[in-house]
Amino acid sequence: MEAVVLAHLTDKLALDPLTVKQFKRFRSIKRGYYSAIVLGVMIVLSFGAELLVNSRALVVSYQGELFFPTYGDIIPGRTFGLDYDYETDYRELDRVLEERDGEDGWVLMPPVPYDALENDLRSGVYPPYPPSIESGHYLGTDSTGRDVLARLIYGFRIAFAFSFLLLLCNYLIGIAVGCAMGFWGGLFDLIFQRVIEIWNMVPTLYVIMIVASVVVPTFWTLAAVMVLFGWTAMTWNMRTSTYKEKSREYVLAARALGASSPRMIGSHVIPNTISVIVTFIPFSIASGITLLTALDYLGFGLPPPTPSWGELLNQGTSNLGSPWIVYSVVIAIALVLVMVNYIGEAIREAFDPKKFTYYE
Amino acid sequence: MTRAIKGWRRSGDHKGPGDHKGRPYGGRCVRDNARATLVIGTLLVAGCGTETPSVFEPPAETHEPPTSVGVVLPPIEPQEGDGLPETLPDDLVWVTNEDDPVYASPQAKRGGTLRTTITSFPLTLRRVGPDSNGSFAGYIRPNQFGPVALHPQTRRAIPALATHWAFGADGRSIYYKLNPEARWADGVPVTANDFVYAVQFMRSKEIVAPWYNNYYTERIRDVKRYDDLTYAVQGASPMPGTEMHATYSFGPQPSHFHVLTDDWVAEFNWKIEPNTGPYKISQVRKGKYIVMERKDDWWGDESKYFMHRFNPDRIHVKVIRDSNVAFQHFLKGELDTFALTLPFYWHDKATGEEFDNGYIAKYWFYSEIPAAAGMYLNSEDPLLADESIRFGLAHSMNFDRVIDTVLRGDYERLPTFQIGFGEYDNHDIKPREFDLDKADAYFNAAGFDARGGDGIRVREDGQRLSFKVTYGVPEHTERLVILQEEAKKAGVELKLDLLDSAGSFKKMREKKHQIAWSGWAAGGLAPGYWEHFHSVNAGKPQTNNLTNHANPEMDPLIMAYRVSASLEERVALAKRLEQMVHDSGVVIPTFRVPYTRAGAWRWVKLPEWLGTRTAASLFSPFADTGGFSGGGLFWIDVDEKRRIRDAKDDGRALEPVTIVNTDYRRQQAG
Repeated sequence: MEAVVLAHLTDKLALDPLTVKQFKRFRSIKRGYYSAIVLGVMIVLSFGAELLVNSRALVVSYQGELFFPTYGDIIPGRTFGLDYDYETDYRELDRVLEERDGEDGWVLMPPVPYDALENDLRSGVYPPYPPSIESGHYLGTDSTGRDVLARLIYGFRIAFAFSFLLLLCNYLIGIAVGCAMGFWGGLFDLIFQRVIEIWNMVPTLYVIMIVASVVVPTFWTLAAVMVLFGWTAMTWNMRTSTYKEKSREYVLAARALGASSPRMIGSHVIPNTISVIVTFIPFSIASGITLLTALDYLGFGLPPPTPSWGELLNQGTSNLGSPWIVYSVVIAIALVLVMVNYIGEAIREAFDPKKFTYYE
Repeated sequence: MTRAIKGWRRSGDHKGPGDHKGRPYGGRCVRDNARATLVIGTLLVAGCGTETPSVFEPPAETHEPPTSVGVVLPPIEPQEGDGLPETLPDDLVWVTNEDDPVYASPQAKRGGTLRTTITSFPLTLRRVGPDSNGSFAGYIRPNQFGPVALHPQTRRAIPALATHWAFGADGRSIYYKLNPEARWADGVPVTANDFVYAVQFMRSKEIVAPWYNNYYTERIRDVKRYDDLTYAVQGASPMPGTEMHATYSFGPQPSHFHVLTDDWVAEFNWKIEPNTGPYKISQVRKGKYIVMERKDDWWGDESKYFMHRFNPDRIHVKVIRDSNVAFQHFLKGELDTFALTLPFYWHDKATGEEFDNGYIAKYWFYSEIPAAAGMYLNSEDPLLADESIRFGLAHSMNFDRVIDTVLRGDYERLPTFQIGFGEYDNHDIKPREFDLDKADAYFNAAGFDARGGDGIRVREDGQRLSFKVTYGVPEHTERLVILQEEAKKAGVELKLDLLDSAGSFKKMREKKHQIAWSGWAAGGLAPGYWEHFHSVNAGKPQTNNLTNHANPEMDPLIMAYRVSASLEERVALAKRLEQMVHDSGVVIPTFRVPYTRAGAWRWVKLPEWLGTRTAASLFSPFADTGGFSGGGLFWIDVDEKRRIRDAKDDGRALEPVTIVNTDYRRQQAG
């Protein structure tokens, strides 16, 4: 009895043996696997970037009271006995409190004590400042004195979130339309094929440039425009996969059992085309990041002063005399894209049907 | 200022690729739609500007001497007092000006080739009509002389095509006597007929130039030929003498050359029009370069103010599409001069062997260049309608910090809406400084006395103190982000609304902006107020009143200023108007670049005094810089060129040369 329950439970909980095999295969491709871990950690860390790279202190102890300024409203300088109402300059506060030998309290700054927007300007010397451990600009500053590392990290977060959002929307529409085309076929398929072909002819980049010259694109409008023209790519793959799957016996069996179309698509066809979808994901992410970077580089992307890799790249190429800007951003872009591509390759190989299916 | 002195002042695009970017203002906010559309046009066509190169020599121009005397002007809607007398009035007082100082150096030597660059090949060689406003206009138009020029030191009229002039009794007409020696490039004498023809030409529909059509109808009311060398022109409203020259005098058009047909625009697109200036186009290689040659027997060589000027024998204008690439050409000695107005170029790029070894000299020349750049606050915006908010905003802008950092301390704070017009300038006005206490007081008075969670001020009804700044020059972002960060201290949020230059200009002209970050291509002899501040231009699209400012007290003063013919009265009115603009707070003046900077190989020589009071460029090969006849003072020393080249080849270092001339620098008030 116990054994039966256990077997039943394993059955229910454990992954499909094919999936387990695929995962093992993925893990055995070392560079893809480690890239996935590194990138995963980077993404998680970037979402907590405020705790690592920020001009706001992590903890301030002032006259016996503890403050945690990282998230939430600004704390005006007056709270800490400084003579202004705008947001406290915590690096200055740190110095002030240290001068008083810590009598009034102390400040704990994040590892990089700058945020992506503030201009760290000093009199007599002109930005961009070179990297220096002493000043806390580990990768130097850009031409207006903003920390390059901070802009890289916040820029990465935005680019990744953007690209992920793009992926989600594109796939949602692309898969739905593609499946419908493959599943219903006939006139519906014919019409949609033509519609997509025509739609594909619209030059996306020009549309974005035109939009950007009329209104200032925000994160959401930019994403919306890109989804508007980006969803078509996925339809072709889904259409062919669905055509293939729908003529398989299990779909016929489901149909014979009286399953409705949504059920056949949702429960039978899509799960069996998942490998197609999954292998495309990393490459879509990479292209999303590249696209946003390219647009920002050209000045048609997110509005200033949003931290972005493209904008940094632009600054870097026009300030070749300050090579740390261009080095930082080029290395960062190269690393991320290489990692994403390694992951993509590994997934593709892991899901490669030739490894697990034998056609006779 | 923006009174549209079309034939007179030209932006100096020929100065080099960096220069126009170095202006403090948005630069593209020009005075008429024709120019604005130009920007788009150039952008669209720039990508496909690689025509198949083809060399063609200009066809030998064999023209019949002019026979048609008395061109008939098409009728225009008459206005009161229009029309010049049928015969030359007897009571005219003919004057000339041979008394002002000479500003060219007698040491100047003729000869050599000046090699310079433009970023795209011109779409036409016409002086007017579609596509004629491109950067090559800076080479064609200053090369076409009018009846008089403006002395760059004294700002007075000096003879050019005309030797003498007289003012009519109506206060708005001028009579000119032409120099009998004046010739077109093809040797045909310049006659009064060419001026009458110019008006007919500019009014004609065939040239497809609505701006000129309108200007020569609305502002130039009449023109009349009295004999071959005498003619008169009548403008729309009276003004002081020199300004009347600047506004109403225009260059002639070769009546023996043009044939106005419906196809004129296409037919004359690549024809080389005869001109009156010292150079003529001698070779055109489409997509690659244009060569201009010095006329051997130019009529102006004997004239006092043109002697020892326009010295190079040839001007070779090469197309180099990227300014960084152009700079590399300059370093290799393939270009003779390069504009270094931008701080980045002067301080960072223009360093290294060629400069340290003294092969290239750097010149920093302060001059009185008109400037008008600012943040124009739309007073129809519900927040900006409140004077206290406008004043508070002005005190929240930390311009000094921008100047001290990203602008390297080179630029200066512009004290008021516009400056650089000599005696018209009101130097009593001090700009509102960055002062958080004053800002605080003003914002509190406007009800913004509390701060939200993000440190931005909020009013009781939840309205945040947040503004959108519309601008069109990506290079200005670095200035704005500093202002943005500093403004947060005052509890003001600035949102940056960066559009492309044509898009931002359109948005501003449609008055859809909150704050317009822009500037005006200021020029001419006197500041302008009507278009910027008169109430008839407020609250409606397509006017230059970007602040939508309407002040019933200002209107009559503006009208009085417009029609006054007394210089003294005009100066007094201008000063008063400038003060009123300041008092209204609708403009937060930004920066000015009170100098021109350039690098030049040492064989390019300048007079001891380098340039003139009003110089917009030291190395303009033509007469006109910034509206005044101050160009063409340099010369190329061919022997020196050999010596410098040898020194460079042998690796011999010379004394490095960096000259900063502050003769015409006005110390900043306060």
